[in-house]
Amino acid sequence: MSERPDEPAPEARRARDAVRALSAPRPEPGYRARMKRDFVAGTLAGPVGTGVSHPPPGQESSSWRGMLLPMAAALLIVSALSLNRGPDWEVVRTAGGGPAVVDGRAIPFDRPAELARAIANGARVAMPPGASLVLAARGQMAVEITPATAASLSAPPGRWVGRIARAEVTTGELRITTGRDFHGARLRVRTPEASIEVTGTTLAVIREPHGTCVCVMDGVVRVGAGRGPMVAVEAGRRRFVFNDGRAPEQAEMRPIEHVELAAMRDEQRERMAGGRE
Amino acid sequence: MLERVRRRDPAALTAFFEAYFDRVFGLVYRLLGDRAMTEDVTQEVFYKAYRAADRLDPERDPMPWLVTIAHNACRDLWRSSAYRMGRRSASIDGQPGIELALPARGNPEHDALAAERERLVQAAILELPEALRTPLLLHDYQGMSHEEIATALGIQHAAARKRYSRALAALGARLRETMI
Repeated sequence: MSERPDEPAPEARRARDAVRALSAPRPEPGYRARMKRDFVAGTLAGPVGTGVSHPPPGQESSSWRGMLLPMAAALLIVSALSLNRGPDWEVVRTAGGGPAVVDGRAIPFDRPAELARAIANGARVAMPPGASLVLAARGQMAVEITPATAASLSAPPGRWVGRIARAEVTTGELRITTGRDFHGARLRVRTPEASIEVTGTTLAVIREPHGTCVCVMDGVVRVGAGRGPMVAVEAGRRRFVFNDGRAPEQAEMRPIEHVELAAMRDEQRERMAGGRE
Repeated sequence: MLERVRRRDPAALTAFFEAYFDRVFGLVYRLLGDRAMTEDVTQEVFYKAYRAADRLDPERDPMPWLVTIAHNACRDLWRSSAYRMGRRSASIDGQPGIELALPARGNPEHDALAAERERLVQAAILELPEALRTPLLLHDYQGMSHEEIATALGIQHAAARKRYSRALAALGARLRETMI
């Protein structure tokens, strides 16, 4: 049976009605207010965080400007990108003999600058048993990659735009603490069965044989399981997301993680106090 | 108001923002299903809208123009390797922090069911190829005509209709599988 275009088949009609019934997602109020202020003031940053000034209205173009404007824009883009770049990762502590394997290449612990550079590109890092390292982006965040962990870590968030960092944990544990300059930024951590969103806190993400455990020392972390909703996990609690379809479980944090996270947070407190060197 | 937007009059820009920002944000979120990306793309849309304000036609509804900018930004994102890498490991839903404007009925069970239904519909939409997803959302979520969609996407009117029909059929099949 052929259907007229405006009278879709029942199944398609149900799909149409489902789309029409979708609600309107609301932007986060702080983000919306910032966008409004910058849009009206003409200071909204461009797509790559260029922060390029908007042209004054009514400006006429001319042939020489055709040459100069792209060059000036390129210079501005380079300058703005450079200014927007957050602090680089630095290796602030190592333990055990190393080496760390970064994208399949073994880098000894006695070459911390090379190690930090390699990891900053979002490369995959594998830590041997018995070895760990702590990376810090001054003022923003510190991450401890514990022994026998396989993970990847993006560059730290930008200063004004692109304020999101990402990490992925395949096995092992990342301990994370954020600092004053992280305010307004986000860190999104993924494991094969869970996604975690951090907006400022101290936490551990532990990939275990049966799933992912997220332990929250300070603040609030949002944790999602597969296709399930994101759930807030508060300070002192842990949430376990199973990889076999069982419903996630929430409980008090294990004492050992409490101790380890508190030690890391306290150790990094001064470095996380903010500001550039 | 649009004439004053062309001159970048602050009061007109404020009114313009209030009239269109949430609509663009909602559309982009439905196209991408990711809050962080939605925020970045919506910012890009309004950045470009400001820059091109003096080319705005004050006689016409600016929404299709904004939709074109938004679609181009999403298309650039879809083509980027960073997006494809992210999708490989990303779950398509459970996006943190998006507040949905679901009508509150004071019935927690009903609200929970409605939220779950929304989640399933959004997940099914995101499984559609981008070339089908966009006409479907523009037609049934934004209320645009096929002709407006064709103009916004730079395709033939017949192609817009065809893509929309295919999208409806594909979504219907997906929703049947999820028992909606």
